[in-house]
Amino acid sequence: MKQTGLGIILYGILVVPPVKAYLESIMLLHMLVQLPLLILAGWFIGDRLIKKFHPFFTAWNTDGVPGMIFVVFITMYWMLPRALDEAVTMYYIELFKFISLPLVGLFLKDSWKKMQTLGKGFIFLNYLSMFALMAWLYIDSPIQICNNYLETQQKFLGWGFLVITIWMILYLLQAVFTDHSEKAE
Amino acid sequence: MVTAINTGDFKSKNSLIATYLIIGGLVIAVMMIFGILMLLAQGGVLDLPPAAFYQFLTIHGTGMIGGAALAASAVMWYFLSNYVELSKKVFKLNLILSLIGVVMVIIGVFSFKYASAWTFLYPLPALSGGAWGVTGALLYLVGMLILGVGFLLLYIDTGRAIIKKHGSLGKGLGWDVISGKRAEKDAPSPTVVASTMVTIVNVTALTAGATVLIMNIINVVNPAFTFDPLLAKNLTYAFGHIFANSIIYMGVIAVYEILPRYTNRPWKSNRPFLIAWTMSTAFTLVIYTHHMLMDSVMPKWMLIMGQVLSYANGLPVLVITAYGALMIVYKSGIKWDMASGLIFMSMFGWVVGVVPAIVDATIVVNHVMHNTKWVPGHFHMYMGLGAVVMIFGFIYYLSKVDSGLQTNGLDKIGFISYTLGIISVSVGFLISGAISTPRRWATHFPEWMAPAVFGAIGGVLAVLGLIIFIIHFIRYVKVRGISGSDINEQKLA
Repeated sequence: MKQTGLGIILYGILVVPPVKAYLESIMLLHMLVQLPLLILAGWFIGDRLIKKFHPFFTAWNTDGVPGMIFVVFITMYWMLPRALDEAVTMYYIELFKFISLPLVGLFLKDSWKKMQTLGKGFIFLNYLSMFALMAWLYIDSPIQICNNYLETQQKFLGWGFLVITIWMILYLLQAVFTDHSEKAE
Repeated sequence: MVTAINTGDFKSKNSLIATYLIIGGLVIAVMMIFGILMLLAQGGVLDLPPAAFYQFLTIHGTGMIGGAALAASAVMWYFLSNYVELSKKVFKLNLILSLIGVVMVIIGVFSFKYASAWTFLYPLPALSGGAWGVTGALLYLVGMLILGVGFLLLYIDTGRAIIKKHGSLGKGLGWDVISGKRAEKDAPSPTVVASTMVTIVNVTALTAGATVLIMNIINVVNPAFTFDPLLAKNLTYAFGHIFANSIIYMGVIAVYEILPRYTNRPWKSNRPFLIAWTMSTAFTLVIYTHHMLMDSVMPKWMLIMGQVLSYANGLPVLVITAYGALMIVYKSGIKWDMASGLIFMSMFGWVVGVVPAIVDATIVVNHVMHNTKWVPGHFHMYMGLGAVVMIFGFIYYLSKVDSGLQTNGLDKIGFISYTLGIISVSVGFLISGAISTPRRWATHFPEWMAPAVFGAIGGVLAVLGLIIFIIHFIRYVKVRGISGSDINEQKLA
């Protein structure tokens, strides 16, 4: 219940025009702060909704895979430079952003706990390589990719992606090299 | 040819392993034929258009590594499943994804004339000069990506299973034994150690590969997106070198498992063994830079690292395994048959095949030799007489313990024919390299042709040997289908 409130407050803050305008004025903040916070808002709100619509989630997202496919597709779309550009200039794409990303949070919450280790590992490594690619694309691109953001901003975003990639690699290393014997047979 | 094999711990295996091995074996055989055709063209015997030569080169390199990796992963899965709980579903999924990937690659190469060689070196996929189009490049690159996804799932599963059983990948490599926290007698088995190493290096390789493949796909679809070619080359070789290298590390599991069964002597994971495998794990990840010794724009420290660590990488595991193989066989009273003979031969191939590689990893030599046929001389011996022979040894072992199928004189002829054939192919390449014949060239000057023709004749011998191996394996599959493997296993045990 506390989490739901937190999610609603977070969503409310993100919708406030000055906050929205500020976060969207810098490419790094748009991609790596606003978008993840919208997902986080959905994650917080998700708990209550998953409980309320339990039969729906049990029937349609039994093993977490359908939900995760939804998450992957929507997040992949929002990694495209064009998507960011259109969100700033077209109101219906902006609307889609504020609806789709909280839904991503919701489905992520429901799916992650249901998925097996293999699926989680695959998704993690998939995002690791995607973020590395995004870092490379944004840092290395010799052209301005978005109409609304300068080349320096996209390089800045690329470095942001690189930091996340490095963090993910470090997380992975500690996960596989620390002892899980207590969980082992 | 009856041999005392300790099959007490033998576990019932399924036809999935056989399917992996049949597909792997057939792919290797077909790729050998493409190799012979290329050598005949270079030798001036066959009139092959250059475009077709480069298509053959592409499918030969990709298919050989793919086929051998598929078969070697079956060897690893077969033995590792005795120690940890692996998912059969994932193993099956890898096969399906591999087949889809292979079909896409074949269509891309032969229907759409894609011919960038397996290296798909950026920006070549998008810059063919009209030799192939977007569709061919996409079919190849996406096909490779799908192949990679299958293998990635497989290695995530082996990693998961090893962590579940042993606690961590570090413990899978026996770090607690190395540090003295655990006694040597409780060390993980050589199979688990080797599988842990392969899991670590291949997950890294496949993640790097996915990044560079998608980058190439973006560039093919929209050439306005350009990338740093040097970083692309680094990632391509981080993927290709590690993945190809891992085949022998999967294959060597057959050595660790089969020789002890033949000699009734255990192959123990002692401290030197574990240290050697840890060294190889770390070094395999970084020595791909020996492929880039001619890239003058590479940071100098990376190139020096490429040379020094290349020496340090293969040798510890190789020496410890080769020495171990000699010791386990010495005065053991082993009765040689096809399986034990091939397994022992693979150690010779590995040892001898590494020598030209170490020579080429020396910077001053590399500047002269790397773009010559010296390099294929190394990897044909290393792979053809090392890694692949481990797989063939496993095939004979499996057919023996799983069906009781006897070998005959023809198999011995196959053994001799294959060995002489691959030695000839490799020597042909090495001589070509020594006389400065460039590699990856469709046409040769007359002075370069003789070793190519010699190599082609050797290739024919090798294919004949391989066909005999495959016939034996098909016989096994047929017998297995009739009598049922479980009956034979019980009989042998």
